[in-house]
Amino acid sequence: MQKRTGQMPEWFLVLRKYILRNPRALIGIFIIVVFAAVAVFADSLSSIDPNNIAFFPWETPSPEHPLGTNSYGQDIFSQVVHGSRITLLVGILAGLLTSLIGTAVGLVAGYKGGAVSEVLMRIVDVFLTIPSLAFTIVISSMLPQMTVTSTILVIGALNWMWMARSVRSQTLSESRRDYVDAARALGMSDAEIMFKEILPNIIPVITANMVMVITSAMLTEASLSFLGIGDPTSISWGKMLSTAFDNGAIIYEAWNWILPPGLCIATLGYSFMLIGNSFLDIYANDRGGAVKL
Amino acid sequence: MDQRGSIYVRNIKPSYFLRRILAALLTLWIALTINFFLPRMMGGDPADFIASRTALGSPEYADLLREQFGLDKGLFEQYIAYFAQLLQGNMGISYSVFQVPVSQIIAQALPWTLLIVLTSTLISFAIAWVLGMLAALKKGGVFDTLVVGGSFYVQSMPYFFVAMLLLIWFGFELKWFPMSHALPSGLGDDVPWYTMVGYIAQHAFLPVLSLVVVGLAGRMVMMRSNILQIFSEDYITLAQAKGLRRRTILRRYALRNAMLPSFTGLMLSLGTAVGGAITTEMIYSYPGIGLTIMNAVLSQDYPLIMGCFSIIAVSIVAANFLADLIYPFIDPRVSLA
Repeated sequence: MQKRTGQMPEWFLVLRKYILRNPRALIGIFIIVVFAAVAVFADSLSSIDPNNIAFFPWETPSPEHPLGTNSYGQDIFSQVVHGSRITLLVGILAGLLTSLIGTAVGLVAGYKGGAVSEVLMRIVDVFLTIPSLAFTIVISSMLPQMTVTSTILVIGALNWMWMARSVRSQTLSESRRDYVDAARALGMSDAEIMFKEILPNIIPVITANMVMVITSAMLTEASLSFLGIGDPTSISWGKMLSTAFDNGAIIYEAWNWILPPGLCIATLGYSFMLIGNSFLDIYANDRGGAVKL
Repeated sequence: MDQRGSIYVRNIKPSYFLRRILAALLTLWIALTINFFLPRMMGGDPADFIASRTALGSPEYADLLREQFGLDKGLFEQYIAYFAQLLQGNMGISYSVFQVPVSQIIAQALPWTLLIVLTSTLISFAIAWVLGMLAALKKGGVFDTLVVGGSFYVQSMPYFFVAMLLLIWFGFELKWFPMSHALPSGLGDDVPWYTMVGYIAQHAFLPVLSLVVVGLAGRMVMMRSNILQIFSEDYITLAQAKGLRRRTILRRYALRNAMLPSFTGLMLSLGTAVGGAITTEMIYSYPGIGLTIMNAVLSQDYPLIMGCFSIIAVSIVAANFLADLIYPFIDPRVSLA
């Protein structure tokens, strides 16, 4: 074993350590792939239009409607299937946006130190002071119109602070390592050191943060839709729960309407968290201690 | 870390306090400024909005409202007035519940939010401490795997989904608890205090339970990793080498120190929880700050939105500040530089 590893490229070793030999990450990726497949092939999985109100309301599950129908007589299974699109789209794109901002701010603040770091972290502190859900609600409600794009932008722009903190503290401890001194001695510029030397070494932390941020972006989207501030025209799992609550699914005890979207959000979020946590554990093991998020 | 830590704690330098106070004030000022500018930058004229909702929906009426609320003055003038008024505890008059001061609306809502937030935070903290400890003691065991896995799953559930499930089951199906509001309607003045306390507890039960369930998961995982972290510290190895009994090591060394980081977490979560209970309050129609913000947003009630925000900002800054001040006293290793 020891001999063979020397011949394998480095990226493969990393891939093997973090994914191929990591059952938790494999399970997480499997669940995500299943949901992604559902989102892509939604139209073939359920031929019924999710907005079609042609059926009887409040029907219990039957072969024709696997999850029954809602108060408007819409097919719930079709809504769950089609709802995966918006939830995944918003979660992943908002998560990527958050990661981009968080990583950039964290790297610069951690590596540069001094006044730059102080100012950036002070800004982060202030933003953390503002409760993000309440802030998101206020901004969303004041935009002329909420679309999927503006939902992504608002969530992405308001949730990068924790990530910036985490990346900064990792960058701080990385920049004390020998390879950074070596790079500096070779005459590399600050930007080169940050992005070519430090960044690749903290990729596991960034990825771990990113998947967790995706979970929280999906939850935020669900909350916004639930409060009636999401994109009014699209169906998401949060929107389904909102409609269910507003239309008395509670007193009809319509479990078939409430459980599926809620459990879908939880299962998808769980799979992202599974990946993130296993990455952090492996990374912390390599570094001989716990990594704080 | 710093060997002289314990000496430092007994003479905390005034400069430490001063710096913390200045930092807190700066944060507060910036937050309140954002708070002031945001609603005004987002467009939408509340005067037109209110005017359009009443039978008197004329442009003249909108102008009258604009003048009354000071919206016709310059932005800078409004900004100065905002801070001057805020310092006197005056947050203006609500647009939507007209002629009622914002401070009065908030004063009515805040106690309800504090009640459910404080109670649920303390309860979930206590349970998380016990569960996290048990899980850490048998790391990798069946209990550990179940509890950690379950926590991650619950953490991925939206707050309002958990609240809805509890509402259907305990409120509607079993009818153990009332389904909404903080008090029964139509209460007279002659209700004895013990009945009143009973009503309050009964109505707060489900909101508190659902906040406990969602809050428990994250806190438990954090507590577990704190304890595991401490098990790897040198002083635990030393204690084992000295031949101390396992129970003694746990009680005197590990569990105490595991409390420390979670104490900061507790203070911080108190602050954020005030704003975090929004969807839970919606589900149970619980008359707290969260419900107030939602209603204010729906009716574009700027003064009320800003008032709620100020309260939340103040509570978070205050919790941060307290945590910074108290922390050195309970953990002497923290340097007060």
